[in-house]
Amino acid sequence: MKTWRRLAIPYLIWGSCMLLLPMLLIVFYSIVQPGNEVTTFSFTLNSYVRFFTDPNFLMILWRSLSVALKTTALCLLIGYPIAYWISRCSKKTQNLMILLITLPMWINMLVRTYAWIGLLSEGGPISIVLGWFGIHNVEILYTETAVLIGMVYNYLPFMVLQIHASLTKMDPSLVEAASDLGASPFQTFWRVIFPLSVPGVISGITLVFLPAISAFFIPKLLGGGGWFLIGNVIENQFITVGEWNFGSAISVIMALIMMLLMGLVRRADRKGAKEAKA
Amino acid sequence: MEKPKTLIQFRNIQKSFDDQIILKGIDLDINENEFVTLLGPSGCGKTTLLRILGGFLQQDEGEVYIAGKEISSLPPYKRELNTVFQKYALFPNMNVYENIAFGLRIKKVSNDIIEQKVMRMLRLIGLEGYEKREITQLSGGQQQRVAIARALVNEPNVLLLDEPLGALDLKLRKEMQYELKRIQQEVGITFIFVTHDQEEALTMSDKIVIMKEGEIQQIGSPVEIYNEPVNAYVANFIGESNILPGVMVHDELVRFDEQDFECVDKGYKPGERVDVVIRPEDIDIVGPNEGKLNGTVESVLFKGMLYEMMVETKPGTHVTVNMHITSEDANQNDDGHIHISGNSFYLDVEDMEGIEEKDLIARADAQAWNDETDEQLSIEHVETDLENKIGTYSITFTTVGGLSITKTIQVIDQQIVRDEKRNEGVSAFNFFKSKDEIQESVALDTDLKTWANAQGWRLSNEDEAIPLDVTYEFDPDKIAPGVYPVTFWTKGRVFKVHTTDFVEEGARVGLQFGPADIHVMEKEGYTS
Repeated sequence: MKTWRRLAIPYLIWGSCMLLLPMLLIVFYSIVQPGNEVTTFSFTLNSYVRFFTDPNFLMILWRSLSVALKTTALCLLIGYPIAYWISRCSKKTQNLMILLITLPMWINMLVRTYAWIGLLSEGGPISIVLGWFGIHNVEILYTETAVLIGMVYNYLPFMVLQIHASLTKMDPSLVEAASDLGASPFQTFWRVIFPLSVPGVISGITLVFLPAISAFFIPKLLGGGGWFLIGNVIENQFITVGEWNFGSAISVIMALIMMLLMGLVRRADRKGAKEAKA
Repeated sequence: MEKPKTLIQFRNIQKSFDDQIILKGIDLDINENEFVTLLGPSGCGKTTLLRILGGFLQQDEGEVYIAGKEISSLPPYKRELNTVFQKYALFPNMNVYENIAFGLRIKKVSNDIIEQKVMRMLRLIGLEGYEKREITQLSGGQQQRVAIARALVNEPNVLLLDEPLGALDLKLRKEMQYELKRIQQEVGITFIFVTHDQEEALTMSDKIVIMKEGEIQQIGSPVEIYNEPVNAYVANFIGESNILPGVMVHDELVRFDEQDFECVDKGYKPGERVDVVIRPEDIDIVGPNEGKLNGTVESVLFKGMLYEMMVETKPGTHVTVNMHITSEDANQNDDGHIHISGNSFYLDVEDMEGIEEKDLIARADAQAWNDETDEQLSIEHVETDLENKIGTYSITFTTVGGLSITKTIQVIDQQIVRDEKRNEGVSAFNFFKSKDEIQESVALDTDLKTWANAQGWRLSNEDEAIPLDVTYEFDPDKIAPGVYPVTFWTKGRVFKVHTTDFVEEGARVGLQFGPADIHVMEKEGYTS
């Protein structure tokens, strides 16, 4: 037993150096005066006050939350039927479908997002196709729609894979049992299949929402300069403006918001599960 | 008594999966309030038939009627029958109460009626007070009961049970057998039960349907099937039996094992080949020459309520060979730490065709080793003047460093012992061994068979091997150089007997049975 524990030491060191320490540093930077060193510093909450008193920042925070929620909702609405349909296919087709869904991930996300600029731009393929249907002069690129398209496109596979995994884990005789007890296919879905796939839905939501709320290059590329999200603000503070303390403070605020939201989702799941049982 | 009403009719049901025929045209009627068991080994099509009735599979051909209505086009949720699944298939996201209430909720029954009915079901299955339990908190037997209640609460006319007791341990399985029978009698509906367990079938059923390879073999009450099996397959599947090949002499007289026996069976052609079944419990053990057959008790097993005895009434086909025990030195040469050993051996002139070096090494059991390092050395060279005709030849095995040993090969025309009547042939060779090899053997009987190259086979089919027993008189621990007879036997005619009287192994006994204990059946292409 002792030997096994000793084997864990390198991982513990790695973990604390690479994960814990940077996080503590960010918290530290967020609560000290600008220009302070680790050896000589004085505490201040100025960075936090600045964030919460500036309506521009609050507006961007709200916009980020709203884009992330819309992305998650769209991914769920599009992803669930896809995952359900795949899970009903034969084993061989399923493997092929999963491969097709993960295939785009082999190409760098940045490249794929650049491709969308071309697709969405004025005179690009999408505006041409819309033109055939008599829809002209629609501006998609550099709008919220473009950002949502980019986000859903990039994060949908995470949702599909999670839900698919939970659906295929389900014993197929449960579906037969429901049907045997008189449930129509629709009733079987809502009373048996969907409740049992909720854990997959929850992890799908988590895997889409977290990267969506902190995304910065998708809004930068597809939203243009005028469509800032909170990730872009943080990037700006660190790289362009060089205000590490303020950037750290926004990062900490974001981390707290994410923790809070995920906590709520998990509680809703547990409560839902209990209600379903009661 | 009222004539029972037919509830379910299968007409010429055929089904295949991937070109494999599972059901070959099943015709079966099932009555109201009957406990029917579909019995057969796995792969006989019993579950497929049940799933066709449940609506989970579509037959390729044929019709299924419930109460006179063809139902093949109805999906499962429109069929008025319910299923207890093999692994229960209880909904893990619901507790016991909600699982049982599921069917009623679908039918939009009002809450107070649901509660009444669920509570009545919980009483029926003996799980009152368990309604709030999670499924995962239940034992296998309790889950089983909930699955039954969940099906029965819908008040179906027919309950389908797909090997529902398979996952339970023996004691629980027995309990559930009584429980299921009780529930069936109490609710008074048709149960169709699928199992491969003959005891389950006998205990619970009103009617047993025995299936084999997609065909029905026999339909009847447990007593009918047990006492009057239609063929050897059924006799073997239901209960234990002694099945013997026989010939019908004329009505009420059957001949087997070269004796005529009175029986009660009629209607066979004189001279027709038949199978004869005698149940182990129908045979009484009496004194030697007091019964119809005499035999030697081969083995006695204590089975709790009774002894299971194997009595051999006729010895098997046998062959006796000579085992030559040679002195140690003659079989071994050494050169310092290197040793080589080998034995002289016999070969059948018929086996000479295509014989290879490795066969000769194996037959001579030639080995070389280093006693310092305990290392096995290879036989590098074999030299012999062996020819393809009867005679005596010499053979020399050589190992690393040139150490060699020379032995003789006797090529003979080996006599085979044939018993045409029993369709058996046995053969074995004389062999040479040293005292040490006998004493070092960990499984002497097996080694003797290998050394003598003893073989038994069916005369009609040389590829079908018959296992052999071996007997000898010598004491392996005290064996000295010399010649010893060793005999190899096939099994003779052995009767299994269930009796409460204890008899020593090896005792001579008589076997007694009456004409009614002999069941004559039509021959079926089946050998046990």
